[in-house]
Order: sequence, then structure tokens, then C-alpha cells
Amino acid sequence: MNEDPYDVLGVKRDASQEDIRKAYRKLARKLHPDLNPGDKAAEEKFKAVSAANDILGDADKRARFDKGEIDASGNERPPQPPPGWYRDHAGGGGGGPYTSDAGYADMMDEDDLLGALFGRGARRGGGAQFRMQGGDIHARLAIDFLDAVNGGTKRVTLPDGSTVDVTIPPGTREGQVLRLRGKGSPGMGGGPAGDLMVEVSVGEHRHYTRRDDDILLDLPVSLPEAVLGGKIEVPTPAGAVMVTIPKGSNTGTVLRLKGRGVKKRDGSRGDAFVTLRLVLPDKPDAELEAFAERWAAGKAQNPRAGMES
Amino acid sequence: MADTNDRLGRLRLQATMIESWVAQGWIAPAQEYSDADLARACLIRDLREAMGVNDEGVGVALDLLDQLHGLRRALRRVGDVMHGLPEPARQEVLVILRELDEA
Repeated sequence: MNEDPYDVLGVKRDASQEDIRKAYRKLARKLHPDLNPGDKAAEEKFKAVSAANDILGDADKRARFDKGEIDASGNERPPQPPPGWYRDHAGGGGGGPYTSDAGYADMMDEDDLLGALFGRGARRGGGAQFRMQGGDIHARLAIDFLDAVNGGTKRVTLPDGSTVDVTIPPGTREGQVLRLRGKGSPGMGGGPAGDLMVEVSVGEHRHYTRRDDDILLDLPVSLPEAVLGGKIEVPTPAGAVMVTIPKGSNTGTVLRLKGRGVKKRDGSRGDAFVTLRLVLPDKPDAELEAFAERWAAGKAQNPRAGMES
Repeated sequence: MADTNDRLGRLRLQATMIESWVAQGWIAPAQEYSDADLARACLIRDLREAMGVNDEGVGVALDLLDQLHGLRRALRRVGDVMHGLPEPARQEVLVILRELDEA
């Protein structure tokens, strides 16, 4: 601490004793280690300010310092004598008799998690009370493909025979776990009940398959529909929709139906992708056979060109 | 008794002052003054002398400090719990905190 005490306190050399006292008080209020419990550096600064005040706050010592009879380093402050700063006692594990929970008392009953973390539950009722959250119950639930896509509700029967209606959010995925707060085992000693954790398995659909938020669908079309094009009705999870088949469509042609897929959280939907599949008549048709017989261009086409043997 | 006075003298404390602070409810000793009691007394002395806080102000400052230490202890507990969590759960909490910050 060889710094000039006048600089440390931020006062002029001709400052009055009253000015010095004010400057010191202002700095002490700001830097006192017990008012800065988390700031290790505050202690060093406070020591420097106190040492400066020990010289300048005393008119006699100040006069001797000004005359050069003593210097700033000679008045270095020893470390805080035992028991040290109050902050080092108040911060301890036990908390002592002084530590107050009034600073977070309003944050408690909302969620017992906070109570457990802030160590309050044990202190209530004399500290001997045992308070514990109930356990979670795990259950599995098979749901329909369309309920997973569009959302719905499903009744679950628990091991104890009671039933719970589970809300299935739209867009639920295979293996997703739905948490029903407070539907698990009851708590002990006034603790809250645990949660019911429902793992979902999604069933298959006869026509639809799912790829994230999109729906894939094979759609059979007749020969005339494929060749000539036309409007046909297509079922989707979002309801049937009229779709125009372009002229000259083929097996494997994919049509994208925007917003006809899986419902998302924000209310919008993924897309449906319709793959056309050309289907010939069930029974042999004489007219079609006759046409194919005389259809030179058709016969000349080799759809397997480019296939390796 | 002489022992206690010795101890107080080294800390620049006077028995009569501490007794009046006990009467104010600022210090709550058990049988003897504990280290925490004496450190608290030094703080009260600093508040009154070095910082020029009056008696009403000392009560307010102590009350707020007691709350601050309660909060610090609670926060440290939360931190300890966080520290002891398995890594995936820790990451999950960090992600939630980050999302809260961004919101």
C-alpha cells in the first residue's frame, strides 16, 4: 500500500478534516466487505481506504505524513483480526441464527422443487417433519395413428384401477413421453404428488405413413386418369381434398399437397406427398387388348432400357 | 469475564455497546458470544462509525444483509444441486436457462 493516501481517498491535499471524513465514509459504504459478500476484491480496496483514513483521518498523523515524518506504507493495515468478516460466518452451511429466508419466501409454494432446493421444507414445523414428493408413475399408451397426427384424448387405466384422460397433443411422435403433473403417487407429509409419465406408441395406418411432419400416401389411379389427367378426391389426415392429376402422369409421380400433413404445435401442418400408382382394370378388357395389339409406339417403348442385367 | 473483555478489546468493541445491540435485537447470542456474533458486532461498529449509518439505518442494513445471505445460501444450494446432476440433465437445464434468457 504505497499509494498516496490522498489519491486513495480521492481528496485534495488541502481538504478539510470534514471533507476527508465524508470521502472515507462514502468509500467505506461502497467497499465494506460485509456489504459486498460475493466480491473478494472489495476487501483489498477497503483495506487500502481504511489505511489511508488511519493517516488522514487523524489530524496529527496527517500533519506528520505531510511533513514526511511517516509514509503510507508504515501504516499498512493488518488483515481483519479473528473472527474475520461477518460475511464469512453468515455464508456458512448452517446459516447461523441470522440468515433469513424472507428474501425468497414468496417463491416457495408455487412449485415444491424450489422449496426442496432452497432448503425450506425441512425448517418448517421445527425441522423434524418429513416431507417428500410422491413418486412418478410410468405407463404405456397405444394410440391411433390419426390421434397422434391430429391430437385427441385417450383414457388410461392406472395400476390402482383409477382412470385418467390423457390429452394427446397434435403431432405426437412414437416413443414420446407425456407428463401429467400431479397424477403420480401421492406425496408424504404434505408433499406434492408425483407425475404420471405416459410413453406413447403410435399405431400404423392402412394408407398413410409418416415422415416427421409430412404424410406419405400411395394413391391408385386408373389408366384413363393417368393418361388424360383429371380431378380426383384424395383422402388426407386433414380431410379429403380435390386434386388435379396432370395429363400424362405415371406410377411414381409425386404430388405435394401443402398443409395437409401432420398438425404442428403452432397450428400449421406439414405436407402430404401423394405417390401415384397406375392400376390396370381388374378384369382383362378386350378393347384395351385390341388397342395394345395395334399400338406400334407402345410396343416400340422399352421401359427397361438402361437397366443392367 | 476478563477473557471476554480481552477479546472485545482486541476487536475495538465495548461490552456495554454490544449489550445495547443485543437489546436492539441486532445480535442474538446464545450463552457466549460466538465468532459470528462478534463478527456481526464488528460490522455494526463499522456501519455506525466508519460509514456514519444511524441506528435506524443499521436495523435496515442488517435486515437486508440477513436476507441477502439467505438468498446466497439458497442460490449456492441450487448451484450444488446443478453441479451434482448427471451431464444430460445439466445440459437440459442449461438449454432451458438459455431459452429463458433469449425470451
